[in-house]
Amino acid sequence: MSEPKDKTPPAPPRPDVGEPDPVTARALALLERRAPGAVLAHEPGGRHPWLRVGADRLREAARLLRDDPDLALDCCHLISGVDWPETGEMEVLYHLVSYARRPDAAYRRRPLKNDPFVCLRVRVPRDAPEVPTVMDLWTGADWHERETYDLLGIRFTGRKELHRILLPEDWPGHPLRKDWEYPADYHGVPIIPPEGL
Amino acid sequence: MSRDTADGPSGGAGLDPELQQSVILTKVEWVKDWGRRHALWPMAFGLACCAMEMMATAATKYDLDRFGAGVFRASPRQSDLMIVAGTLSHKMAPRLRRLYEQMPDPKYVIAMGACVVGGGPYSRFGYHVVQGVDLIVPVDVYLPGCPPRPEALIDAIRKLQFRIEERGGATLGAPAAAGRRASA
Repeated sequence: MSEPKDKTPPAPPRPDVGEPDPVTARALALLERRAPGAVLAHEPGGRHPWLRVGADRLREAARLLRDDPDLALDCCHLISGVDWPETGEMEVLYHLVSYARRPDAAYRRRPLKNDPFVCLRVRVPRDAPEVPTVMDLWTGADWHERETYDLLGIRFTGRKELHRILLPEDWPGHPLRKDWEYPADYHGVPIIPPEGL
Repeated sequence: MSRDTADGPSGGAGLDPELQQSVILTKVEWVKDWGRRHALWPMAFGLACCAMEMMATAATKYDLDRFGAGVFRASPRQSDLMIVAGTLSHKMAPRLRRLYEQMPDPKYVIAMGACVVGGGPYSRFGYHVVQGVDLIVPVDVYLPGCPPRPEALIDAIRKLQFRIEERGGATLGAPAAAGRRASA
């Protein structure tokens, strides 16, 4: 996802940004009011609006979004990770949805625009990827954090012990990192590296 | 089905014609193999989506019991046919090997589906998928398809039955092809 360009009013709106998302705008206003300076960057609209916060203020922002009676983002729908070797960063995306506020009929008619959905993004340095856990805020974040650790090696701090969830415990490395090397074999069974990469 | 009737190896040419009509001369081994190939007990063991087709094959519409292979057992110790149906990950491979070793001889393996035949859709980028179950256990019948239809699985079981008839009931299959991909 590219960074939003300069959005001065006279310029025509980017087709992929489109209308500002009302839920994200409300979440942004809430965070600016209750946690000034927590939001480092944001994309207000388009197919996938998001808010970027610092890792040190992630839990504060997440708790505000969850406990706000208006937004009521009571479900951590998905946590995903991205490896950015060009900038030397790792990124974690939290996809938050609200079951309490889901307008069911409207949701079925126009799923993307009316779904109460907020995406929080956190960037951490690639050599020490540590993100505070949100498991105590959303219990379901447990398995998502374990998966992100398993495949990308991003460590979540302040939670119960972090184990791999999909790969074997003695698997070498974290395979969704861009610089992961294919091992020759795993317990004697050959692993065939992809050709022509 | 004519090849499955109990005509057995021909013999007793010099016998009394009346005796030939009422007595069948054959080998005990042949009778044992005849029983084996018509009472294959598969292990209820599904790894991924191919298991759906395996279940459909065993259910009423395709009725695997017609071929004597519908008694799916929950224990490897009661089974003599392992249908490896689905994607085999490196994490699962030691468990599969252990299940195979727990089966009593003679035992047979059908590699069902593209994933266990040679990696299938994971053959280029699937770091977590074993590139063919013959790296783990010897395979008697390779059944490609993604997934194979129930008719194809029935065909694979019939082929296995013919192999047992032709080669006797001992555990078949090539030895695990450890160096199969090394030359490729």
